[in-house]
Amino acid sequence: MSGRGQVRFEDIVKMHGEFAALKGVSFEIEPGEFFALLGPSGSGKSTTLRILAGLDAPSAGRVFIDGQDITAADARDRDIAMVFQSYALYPHMTVYENIAFPLEMARMSKAEIVPAVQEAARKVAIEHLLQRKPGQLSGGQQQRCALARAIVRKARLFLLDEPLSNLDAKLRLETRTELKKLQRSLGVTAVYVTHDQEEAMTLADRMAVFMAGEIQQIGRPADVFARPNSIDVAAFIGSPPMNLIPARYRDGGVEIAGHRLETSLKEAGERDVVVGIRPGAVRIAAGGIPAVVELVEDLGDTAILDLDCQGISIRARVSDGDVPREGTALSITARAADIHLFDATTRRRL
Amino acid sequence: MIARRIRLIAVLAITLVFLLAWVFPIVWSVLNSLKTDSDVLAYPPKLFFTPTLEPYRDVLFGSASILPNLISSFIISIGTTVITMLMAVPAAYALARLRFRGKKFAGFYVLATQMLPPVGIIIPYFLILRNIGWIDTYQGIILIYLSFSLPFAIWLLVSYFEDIPFEMEEAAYLDGASRMKTLWRIIIPQVRGGIAVTVVFVFLNAWNEFLFAVVLSGNTVRPVTVAMFNFISVEQTLWAKLAAVSVLAMLPVVILGIVAQKNIVKGLTVGAVKGGGRR
Amino acid sequence: MPGHAAAIPQGDLGRVLAQRERRFAAALLAPAFLALLATTTFPLLFLIGTSTFRMDLAMPFADGFVGLENYRTLLADDRFWSSLLVSLIYTGATVVLQVALGLALALLVMDMKRGQGWFRIIAILPVVLSPAVVGMIWRTFMLAPEFGIVDYLAINAGLGSKNWLGDPTLAMVSVVVIHTWQWTPFAFMVLLASLASLPEDIYEAARLDRASAWQRFRRITLPLLRPAIVMVVIMRTMVALTAFAAIFTVTGGGPGTATEILNLYAYRKSFTELSIGYGSALAVALLVVTILISGVLFALRRAK
Repeated sequence: MSGRGQVRFEDIVKMHGEFAALKGVSFEIEPGEFFALLGPSGSGKSTTLRILAGLDAPSAGRVFIDGQDITAADARDRDIAMVFQSYALYPHMTVYENIAFPLEMARMSKAEIVPAVQEAARKVAIEHLLQRKPGQLSGGQQQRCALARAIVRKARLFLLDEPLSNLDAKLRLETRTELKKLQRSLGVTAVYVTHDQEEAMTLADRMAVFMAGEIQQIGRPADVFARPNSIDVAAFIGSPPMNLIPARYRDGGVEIAGHRLETSLKEAGERDVVVGIRPGAVRIAAGGIPAVVELVEDLGDTAILDLDCQGISIRARVSDGDVPREGTALSITARAADIHLFDATTRRRL
Repeated sequence: MIARRIRLIAVLAITLVFLLAWVFPIVWSVLNSLKTDSDVLAYPPKLFFTPTLEPYRDVLFGSASILPNLISSFIISIGTTVITMLMAVPAAYALARLRFRGKKFAGFYVLATQMLPPVGIIIPYFLILRNIGWIDTYQGIILIYLSFSLPFAIWLLVSYFEDIPFEMEEAAYLDGASRMKTLWRIIIPQVRGGIAVTVVFVFLNAWNEFLFAVVLSGNTVRPVTVAMFNFISVEQTLWAKLAAVSVLAMLPVVILGIVAQKNIVKGLTVGAVKGGGRR
Repeated sequence: MPGHAAAIPQGDLGRVLAQRERRFAAALLAPAFLALLATTTFPLLFLIGTSTFRMDLAMPFADGFVGLENYRTLLADDRFWSSLLVSLIYTGATVVLQVALGLALALLVMDMKRGQGWFRIIAILPVVLSPAVVGMIWRTFMLAPEFGIVDYLAINAGLGSKNWLGDPTLAMVSVVVIHTWQWTPFAFMVLLASLASLPEDIYEAARLDRASAWQRFRRITLPLLRPAIVMVVIMRTMVALTAFAAIFTVTGGGPGTATEILNLYAYRKSFTELSIGYGSALAVALLVVTILISGVLFALRRAK
């Protein structure tokens, strides 16, 4: 099935009156890829998905699927399947009828529909529920039914709009793994909208990070995590979020709370910067920035320390073995490679 | 404790008086419809008497049978309901769900038409229908009844269509359904309840209409609300028969009202909630 | 790359999709809107037209365009002014009574644990009935001298038998009572429904704030109920202004013109006296009055 489901967005703009929901979004998705659209609510990720699905029309720009311009095509002619956040199961139809509906609309014969529905139901393990109505299903079962309805048609694109957000935490983790396996086994291109960075990190082959109607960064999750290219992406990705400290850069180092940290940027001169250090990269070692432990959040295997470094708050993640007590004075530092530097005015990575 | 008991009794007494006031005229009509004329006219009024079905036999199968008028009422009400629904369901769907320019105005227009006093509609239509020979015809009455049944039905249905999540249509489009198929297979089955309620109210309003019926009815088409007057005149009133006819005229609407009990507030206030509100 | 896309005319893409939706909407709306145009807007224009004619079905030879003469006659017509006054009294009295009684009853029933269901069913009965049937029942079995129940009660109360529909004042009282009887359940049901939808916890909070029952009613219930009350007032006013069957079947507007509201006058002028042109002018006047009053009520609704 490879070679099918290639997507290209070209300078898509979406205006709601005066408000620009999307300000010129461009990206490409390769066939068979699991692509996540990640961002906070209102960032434009859902709008992007809806434009791809044909549910909303862009104000400007073009959308291509498999090299073909489908910007003005009706949703029904795009050969796209979608799982909605609310699942959008047809309440008056049984599970079987729900899954069969897209095939019926494609004018398939009954002889073709029955085995196809059976197979789709089997893939998501709901064969025993086919005669029920959606109202009689649990949340997890409804979600599977929506999945089955989406995969039954073997569409060239598979869209998922926060499909896990209505499940409870445990079920969400299980379903996440199954979803990934399902996509692999089908080999179909998947576009996945989520505001949960952890979901995007674990599921996606590549992801696009949306902020305020623009794509901030596109890349493999690990790369985005390792090298966020703006303050906003850095603050959004990772939990707990990256420490962002305004500081002064001078000749290859930054000064925080009166203490100098060496950075990997070797550039002569002085400028205002924002220093980013992930909580996990903060090390407790002598001879660093003096700090006092204000609060300890023990998570079991790790602990998060809220540190006060002479008025600057910094969070650090330490492993369970050596958790200092609240009120302890200690000193922290970080390796040059773990220090991210951002321009204070452009907010871009240096 | 005693004060509370007194309050409770007072509340009970007041509410009981109201209940009695509302039920009594109806119950009394039913009782009178089972009496002979002399029993109806008895003083003091008779609460206990030997019931007879004579009045019903007379008004249904007697010489001045009301049966054709009941049939008239049914034909008018059912005709109005069918035509109204055929037009109102698609229109309400468009108003509730589709995007098009002038939608706000269209919704307002539907409401504003109800401002026009019925007497202002019947005067011109009397002249027009007289010219084309539609006085005393079913098509004439049903046409005019659309003037009040359509806005009502459209607004009531809009409120039901609006309850359906937009994802329903979007999912159907993505599943490859056309707009028409989506409306027919996905949306309408989900508003069956709302459509049933609307049918009840449109029928009820058509059955109860009086002004248009009085002006437009004749010897062929004369609904029961107008025909009632045959039993009351300056010279003579046929008391028991009048009671029987009243009960027959009340029967269908009371049954429908109780059937639609849960939705009656919604049905009675439709449009007003929306009127100057968020639209 | 960016330059390439900028060359595409703005909005051209969405337009195709939007146009399909518009066409579908137009097809769905067309039958209903054509019917509404034909049965409401067209007659309105026609009515305004006939109101500028002398049109007398009894004397067709005298028919002709008279311009605004019907309106000039109307302004000098005592019967018009009296019918307007009767309209205002009838509307004001019935609306105030309905809302006051309906609200009082809703508040009483609200706290009833048992029997509320009975109330709900019985309240439905009057409102689903045809006003014509209601009028007929009251005219005969309730208000007829001696064996009519109301008169029977009046006699037993020592007031003596009254001519309920023959005396101008009593006739007015009677039609007001009949209308109130039929439609108080409407106000009751609507207000009970919105009372039931008020959140319980604000009352608990108010109780903790030591508000008395009367204070809770004045400061919490009434303001929260205001939209529902205003809505009931607007709806009932519109209906009362154009009430027809409930008066026509009881008094026919009489005795004389004692219960002749403007709506009834327009009807009698057109269809009893067959003076269609002047009747049209009266109907237009009624429309103007309706619009003015609803304008005031809607302004009231928007205020605060």
